[in-house]
Amino acid sequence: MKEQIEQLQEKALSDLQLAADLKALQDVRVQVLGKKGALTEVMKGMRDLAPEERPVVGSLVNTLKDQFETRFAERQAELQQQAIAGKLASEKIDVTLPGRRAVLGSKHPVTLVSEEIVDIFSRLGFMVEEGPEIEQDFYNFEALNIPKDHPARDMQDTFYITDDLVLRTHTSPVQIRAMLKHKPPLRVIAPGTVYRRDSDLTHSPMFHQIEGFLVDEKVTFGDLKGILTHFLREYFGEGLGVRFRPSFFPFTEPSAEVDIECVICGGEGCRVCSRTGWLEILGCGMIDPEVFGSVDYDSDKYSGFAFGMGLERIAMLKYGVGDLRLFFENDLRFLKQF
Amino acid sequence: MIVTYNWLKEFVDFDYSPQELCDRLTMAGLEVDALEEIGGGLDSVIVAKLESVEKHPDADKLTVCQVNNGNEVVQVVCGATNHKAGDLVALAQPGSVLPGDFKIKKSKIRGQISMGMLCSEKELALAEDSAGILILPQSLLLGQPVFDALNLKDFMIEIGLTPNRPDCLSVVGVAREVAAMCDQELILPAPQITESAVKITDQTSVVIEDADYCPRYAARMIKGVKIGPSPDWMVRRLEAVGMRSINNVVDVTNYVMMELGHPMHAFDFKYLEEGRIVVKRAQQGEKFISLDDQEHEMIAEDLMICDGKKPVAMAGVMGGQNSEVQDDTEDILLEAAYFKPTAIRRTSKRHGLHTESSHRFERGADIDMIPVALDRAASLIAELGQGEVLAGVIDNYPQPLQIPVLTLNVGKVKTLLDVPVDRETIQVLLESIGLRVEDGENLEQLLVAVPSFRPDLEREVDLIEEVARLYGYDRIPVTMPTGTVDATVPPQRQRVQSSLRNAIVACGFSEAMNYSFYGADSVEKLGLGEDDQRRQQVKILNPLSEDQSVMRTSLVPSLLETVAYNLAYRSNDLRLFELRPVFLPVGENACQERLTLTAVACGRRQPEGWAQTGELVDFYDLKGVAEELLSAVCINDVQVTVETPEPYLHPGKSCRLMHSGKSLGSIGEVHPQVLAVFDIEQPVYLLELDVEEMLAAVGEYSQFKPLSRYPDVIRDSALLLDESIAAAQVMEVIGRTKVKYIENAVLFDLYTGKGIPEGKKSLAVRVRYRDLEKTLTENEVAKGHDKLINAICQQLGAEIR
Repeated sequence: MKEQIEQLQEKALSDLQLAADLKALQDVRVQVLGKKGALTEVMKGMRDLAPEERPVVGSLVNTLKDQFETRFAERQAELQQQAIAGKLASEKIDVTLPGRRAVLGSKHPVTLVSEEIVDIFSRLGFMVEEGPEIEQDFYNFEALNIPKDHPARDMQDTFYITDDLVLRTHTSPVQIRAMLKHKPPLRVIAPGTVYRRDSDLTHSPMFHQIEGFLVDEKVTFGDLKGILTHFLREYFGEGLGVRFRPSFFPFTEPSAEVDIECVICGGEGCRVCSRTGWLEILGCGMIDPEVFGSVDYDSDKYSGFAFGMGLERIAMLKYGVGDLRLFFENDLRFLKQF
Repeated sequence: MIVTYNWLKEFVDFDYSPQELCDRLTMAGLEVDALEEIGGGLDSVIVAKLESVEKHPDADKLTVCQVNNGNEVVQVVCGATNHKAGDLVALAQPGSVLPGDFKIKKSKIRGQISMGMLCSEKELALAEDSAGILILPQSLLLGQPVFDALNLKDFMIEIGLTPNRPDCLSVVGVAREVAAMCDQELILPAPQITESAVKITDQTSVVIEDADYCPRYAARMIKGVKIGPSPDWMVRRLEAVGMRSINNVVDVTNYVMMELGHPMHAFDFKYLEEGRIVVKRAQQGEKFISLDDQEHEMIAEDLMICDGKKPVAMAGVMGGQNSEVQDDTEDILLEAAYFKPTAIRRTSKRHGLHTESSHRFERGADIDMIPVALDRAASLIAELGQGEVLAGVIDNYPQPLQIPVLTLNVGKVKTLLDVPVDRETIQVLLESIGLRVEDGENLEQLLVAVPSFRPDLEREVDLIEEVARLYGYDRIPVTMPTGTVDATVPPQRQRVQSSLRNAIVACGFSEAMNYSFYGADSVEKLGLGEDDQRRQQVKILNPLSEDQSVMRTSLVPSLLETVAYNLAYRSNDLRLFELRPVFLPVGENACQERLTLTAVACGRRQPEGWAQTGELVDFYDLKGVAEELLSAVCINDVQVTVETPEPYLHPGKSCRLMHSGKSLGSIGEVHPQVLAVFDIEQPVYLLELDVEEMLAAVGEYSQFKPLSRYPDVIRDSALLLDESIAAAQVMEVIGRTKVKYIENAVLFDLYTGKGIPEGKKSLAVRVRYRDLEKTLTENEVAKGHDKLINAICQQLGAEIR
């Protein structure tokens, strides 16, 4: 009997190990523990044993049963793992195929640059103002100290709608409108579309500018340098070389052009900066007392500065776009890059 | 304005290299646009001697020359005919690059070796044209670069002058700035004139009839002048500063203008009837032919220089053909005058004549320079033309200019510039550019006399700018403003604009920017009705071209052109938008700018790819975008009207979006006939939104709705409806019917075809019921749903399928 049990044990455990899948494993279990299973048969045979042998054999049977169940569970887990692994292996995909992307559009690079600049100045307390693109001569010229018959009008070739209405040639008329609307202290930033009667490789009859100005008591030329240097370094990079040099605008006095160290060559001199190492980036100056006169601000009490820059130029420098015309061709292959 | 390095050196002694000079000029506000070396890169063109000149054995028109370059004798083949043995010539050695990127190489010409080229003046850019090669004076040293030997090395400096600095429209004016920089004296020319015994006043006279337009008119006479070419040095200087040589007399007037900044004019005296000058306004309608052979019709505003009978020059702009200096001219009347800037500007603009002269007069010439310029020019003409200067000057100057004296407060300089300059420093700075500075009433004040060459200095602030400029902008400290400002929220208009842009970009659209103007016929392409408001366009008086001549009243034509442009480059799947104003005229003299968002889409719904379906966009894609945009700016309760909103949309696939009785815009497929006009062969869908109307409809942000913790119950019903019943009608009934517990209702299927009778359609609606407080019973839901479906059936004649 004991031998029989030992043989059974050996066979049963080996069958468990040989079972190739979960079904075969289940079959082994039935063969051993089922109603007609080998072990069931043994247990039935125990009735015929001498009473003193029964506990011994019983113990053997129990051990075998326990052992069988443990091994069975182990083998079952093993085969389950194998089955899952096999299933997963059969589900393998090519992960190098491109993903399914949500189709996102894009903002025009001029919009992007404008938003970035507005954002920097907003943090400095500047508020956004807008004005019309078809503008009265008064706001575009007269109030900005550019009288009729003055050579300064030649600085900007103008599209006329009537004798008195023009397509604004700069965003500076927003200065006048904002100053007439609000009392100082005032910090304003004004992006917008402007027009000049000029069209060639480097001039577009429509382009974009951003204008900013600040009016308060005791504003100095040093403050103008401070705000603009801060802005240029925040936009183009820490430690950027910035220089202010004298220039002329009818609505500022003193006036300045601001150059930055060439962002293409780092000031070494290249084609973009005409080998000077510097790029002209914006015009600015202290607001002319004549302008304060036009809006009834007391120029003995208040002073201020104003600045303006071309957005396409900044976008060209930032993104390395070499051709101005691309901004208005609206080629999707261009627009999608931003 | 172009000056040259050496010319400047005649008036100020400075040590700067050309590059350094340019950098300093730029930093002083005279921005240098270009610096170019005259004869730059031509050091290998050297003085050489022709030892022998022989005929080329195999070419009749060529010579073979043995050339001594100072070092050795080399052979050069030459095609010219004006050279002989013993001549000194300009030899371009192999490796030279002549103007026009003409590279000189060692070569073989018809079997003869040629070690370079003998150059003409034209090839060295020394003259516009030349016959034969350049024969040099015998005194030159062999082997020396030609430009050095001839003392031609110079630098052209081109300055982009701002309109406030007429004083720098001359070499002397720029030299004055250089003198201030390096603390040197400005050396002005002091012309010496030998006058004849004959007095000018016995020969001619000048009458000014309009002293407002012509405050000063001075003249000199030179008799017995021989007209001929100018000497080389003058021709080269004029060419260097961009002027063409004409003859010795005209060249002198131009030379003096470039040197001293004062425009002048020389008349052939024999053509001045009655031998006199009268300065007066033109007669209305009078015809006048200027030097450039153009005929002008003058108006009574134009100032003319006349003789006893007729006009002989457009004052300050251009001389007349009738009194021009020509080869046979002998007696010259030389004019130096001052004209009112605005008068010259108007005449110049009116007649489209922008000249070196008008450029200077309209910016403000130097009235005190007149006698100097006149003497300088008279002495040069006498010298070059061997003429005789008559005794005396006619100087008609009825009301001599009062030198303006400005008061400058030292404290104001400090507060505006934030620099610690004292009155002595200010005085030194201002005096360095020729201003006279005296003490004012108190220690805080300076009295500054402004000389006539600086008409731009009119106010205290102009002087402060000069102080800043001369002190150096780079020395002004960098500070931050100390004031405070109120925190502001961006206005609604900007917020809405930015929300719309962000939302449509999230929907896959790329932003385009077209010009705000297009051709007057662009809207015609849309087939608009006769009385459509968009046919009233704002016209540009002076457009660059016909196709940029009116302001856009619709963004649609430009965007369809953009579509066509991209399709031509085979970008077929397009989603583009513009968010820009259209311009609508209001009455005669005003215009309304309405911000508009227009979007177009065509091609595949999803980009081409392995996992994409390849389905094409349709009306509902654009409608979905519209729904997203409206929700992004919290506009609710938008109704769709089904009648065709626009003539350029497909009548069966378009709708208008209405809010409180106002149209917010429209959606639709572009009409195939309109697409054909734009050469587009695939369907394009369009969304137009009037942002101005949307601004009025924008709602508050929505309030939170509590979430139910109880399960939902879903009921689906398929309804058989007449084809003419719109889906919106079904949704309306669902919205109107008072049934409790409805969480939402969705149309989830639309079906026509097999199994559905002709003229009918099946619309399936899924209603979700849920309560905040409890789990709904089957009974509660069934009662409600039955009521709802009955309402639809009764009101819309539907049947349950």
